[in-house]
Amino acid sequence: MHKKIPKYPLRFFRWFCNPDYAEDIEGDLLERFYKKYQHKKHSSWWLMRDVILLFRPGIIKVTQTTQKLNYSAMIKNSFKVAWRSMQKQKLFTTIKIGGFAIGIAACILISLFIIDEISYDKHYKGADQIFRIANEDSSHGTSSRWTLLGAPIRNILYEQYPEFEKVARVILWDGWQAGSNQFRTVGSKQNIYEKGFIYADPELLDILEIPMIYGESSYALTEPNSIVLSRRKAEKHFPNENPVGKQIVLNDHQRLYTVGGVMDLPSNTHLQCDFILTLEGIEFWRGEQTDWCCKNYEYYVKLNPGIDKEALEDKLLYLNEAHIVPYLEASGSVDAAHFKESRKYYLQPIENIYLNVDSVEDMASVHGIEDVVWILGVVAVFILSLACINFINLSTAKSAQRAKEVGLRKVVGSQRTHLIFQYLIESLLYSFFAVILGILISIVFLPFFNDVAGKSLSFPWEKLWFIPGVLTITLIVGIVAGIYPAVYMTAFKPIEVLKGKISQGARNSRFRSTLVVFQFTISLVLVIGAVIVSQQMYFILNKELGYNSHQVITIEATRTMGPQQKVFKEELLKVASVENVTISSYIPIPGTEQNNQDYWKEGRTKLDPGVECRHWQVDQDYMETLEIKLTKGRQLQEEIASDTSAIVINETMASLLRLEEPIGSKIYGSSKLWHVVGVVEDFHFGAMSEPIGPLGMVLSRWGGSMVITKVSTENMKETLSQITSIWDAFMPHQAIRYSFLDDRFSKTWTNETLGRIQTIFSAFAGLAIIIACLGLFALSAFTMEQRNKEISIRKVLGASFASLFGIITLDFVKLLLISFVVAIPIGWYTMDSFLIDFAYRIEIRWTVFALTGLGFLVIVLSTVSKHAIALAAKNPAETLKDE
Amino acid sequence: MGKHHLGEFEEIVMLTVAILQDEAYGFGIIEEMENRLKRSVSIGALQTVLKRLEKKGYLKSALGEATAVRGGKRKRFYHLTSAGKEMLQDTKEQRMGLWNAVPEFILKFS
Repeated sequence: MHKKIPKYPLRFFRWFCNPDYAEDIEGDLLERFYKKYQHKKHSSWWLMRDVILLFRPGIIKVTQTTQKLNYSAMIKNSFKVAWRSMQKQKLFTTIKIGGFAIGIAACILISLFIIDEISYDKHYKGADQIFRIANEDSSHGTSSRWTLLGAPIRNILYEQYPEFEKVARVILWDGWQAGSNQFRTVGSKQNIYEKGFIYADPELLDILEIPMIYGESSYALTEPNSIVLSRRKAEKHFPNENPVGKQIVLNDHQRLYTVGGVMDLPSNTHLQCDFILTLEGIEFWRGEQTDWCCKNYEYYVKLNPGIDKEALEDKLLYLNEAHIVPYLEASGSVDAAHFKESRKYYLQPIENIYLNVDSVEDMASVHGIEDVVWILGVVAVFILSLACINFINLSTAKSAQRAKEVGLRKVVGSQRTHLIFQYLIESLLYSFFAVILGILISIVFLPFFNDVAGKSLSFPWEKLWFIPGVLTITLIVGIVAGIYPAVYMTAFKPIEVLKGKISQGARNSRFRSTLVVFQFTISLVLVIGAVIVSQQMYFILNKELGYNSHQVITIEATRTMGPQQKVFKEELLKVASVENVTISSYIPIPGTEQNNQDYWKEGRTKLDPGVECRHWQVDQDYMETLEIKLTKGRQLQEEIASDTSAIVINETMASLLRLEEPIGSKIYGSSKLWHVVGVVEDFHFGAMSEPIGPLGMVLSRWGGSMVITKVSTENMKETLSQITSIWDAFMPHQAIRYSFLDDRFSKTWTNETLGRIQTIFSAFAGLAIIIACLGLFALSAFTMEQRNKEISIRKVLGASFASLFGIITLDFVKLLLISFVVAIPIGWYTMDSFLIDFAYRIEIRWTVFALTGLGFLVIVLSTVSKHAIALAAKNPAETLKDE
Repeated sequence: MGKHHLGEFEEIVMLTVAILQDEAYGFGIIEEMENRLKRSVSIGALQTVLKRLEKKGYLKSALGEATAVRGGKRKRFYHLTSAGKEMLQDTKEQRMGLWNAVPEFILKFS
């Protein structure tokens, strides 16, 4: 009749119940169970309920006898002991906290940077509906993506694709009025140079949800010739007024632009500009808007909700079938077949644009570099781990001094968990001070860091997560750094410790050595990286460019002079120190104005794919001014009438077009037949990461946007003032703006990836060395202390100062050697894979490693030597007198 | 003593222990309380109070004999100590004092 008793509730009860009470209460439970069972009540359920209700203080067994200890007094005591031991060893404490603080400061700065980098374009309400359309070409086994598309696509999307809610084209590259202009308000005569102009369709403001200060986003750009200003520029040109409806003149042109609104672009969006010119009513040449020839536009689109991206991408292929391929076939291009096969479209989510995670080539000026984010993240972790290692090393090294404390505490009944807890509190205290100091350091260095990173970061004190976040970091770092020393120290056996048996903390020297090797390896790799990046940078900056950039002044924004340009040029040539002057819009600096055209050898337009080449309009003095070397033929000459169709090409172009005898041969491009009159030696005009591309130079009919002046002078200041006074005579209402070609060249590199990486690497490599040396310094101090007697005995037995010094430092040199052996392959491999991206790169030479190693040896020896010398020079009688 | 005051449940438990005299063990007390007061009591609640009262010195306990119905487990019998008796007495007097101070008509139903 007895029902089976449910096993688990009872087992659970026996597990938690105080053994003193277990028996009788279990009896009660059973009695109640049977009773309920007899009354056909849910006996098992009742048993369960009773057991659960029994699970309460008073019944649960007390696991420790220290239940009644006064915890707060213990914690107070822990703090007191920690504080005392911090004060007792000022050097160690300073190094522990200082090293920690440096690591944390670096971490904070880097975290701010990374948080900012990943915050780009995350603020859109319709984030999953906003895309940019990119081309995708998947021929040759690799796929590449880029943004530029033809003008007519917009109308087709609106007419035939109900999926698109809004479509906006944007022109981001420098050309027409996009890029930079001379800006003035109607009524003012003074031209002001302004940058950051883009063209866009009116819908852009809505698609990108750009907040407006004045005007309405839906209408601000709908009228032809309307312009939207950024808040900054509106305040500059129209202080304290609503500029909507005001008129603006660009480049002294007769067309008037009307301000349609003022926008407040968030700083963390990839599309940064100060002026948006509307594309409404614009046709850059007759029939441009329906011409499939050219691809000048980036497309931003907003899809209707719930549209399947992949399906839409497939559907976009219809654009190729119905429009582009027929166009190509009609023009007889051989690209048509290739196009049909391998061209697709890719809808790039807007939040991917900034860090460019899907490798889409575009014209946007603001990009984060995913690699830099990664490198920085890794560096931050490394530096913090260096700091933690310092802490661990120093704590365990000094543990012998605390061993008696641990022993005594154990003897009077302290449990190990409590001791561990105590040491964790101590390390938390350290990390707390370090975090405070680290925040102070990072506040001090933030402006410098902003400069390097090209950012305007600030501490997000007002953010809710910030202070809890910092506290969490404090906690984590404190525990990570403190747990090993805590466990290690509390493992001492009281009897041995109190007898003085534990040899002074030496027991764990292998572990400490490993950590030191780890530290040095990281530092070495960082330094090797910094050296190699700097070498590459130096290599590029000093590479033979194939033209002369020294003492070349580019006077910019000369388009407003119109036909006066030539007269200005003549005037400049009258200045004694001016050697040569040329007028052109093109200079061989990456990131400046460019114009690409397809070229064919005469008669092969329907047989070969076109060679896409740079197409520069120059004047006859261009090559001479920049000292570009002519290998065959002659320069362009304005006096020769037929030279309006003459072209000078570079060697790459000649070989790509397969011109065996280039001079005199005819090539077709830019809707015109050209005859080649000269070939120039290849010179660098694009990014150094790519090989030199094809280039053709023809005579310009309209002058250019720059007057490029080669001077030869000792007194640059005077020459510049002469040039300026000539300029002022010509253009009283427009300030002269000039720059030096070599400056512009090096600036493109210092602002580029490589320059950033170089600065970052160098700074953090320096930090890593400092932290590692701090640790080494303290550790050596400790080792010396330990080997005190040994060295004294050696000295008594007749060892020389030099041999003693050798003995003392040998250990550290050994560690360095091991790290060196580990660091070489790591450094070589990472840096080699980094350099692979550069078409023109240095080879990694063994001297880099040798010199870095040597440098480290010097650093290690000088760090260690302070203690080593003191020890070797010590009078042995002092140390040994106790024996 | 005098400083301690019995909680309501504590008082009931002590009274029940007093009623049951030598038969006051865990489940017995619960049954008695359920019968008399129509009040469901969990073992956990009762045991906690019993332990607390024992700690305060109002009850003392001793293990009895094993019985089959309890799976061979012994019962723990509770007795009032003299301090416990005194406490009950005090409590009762306090209550009576309060009762006596209440004017009679207040409690009459009109």
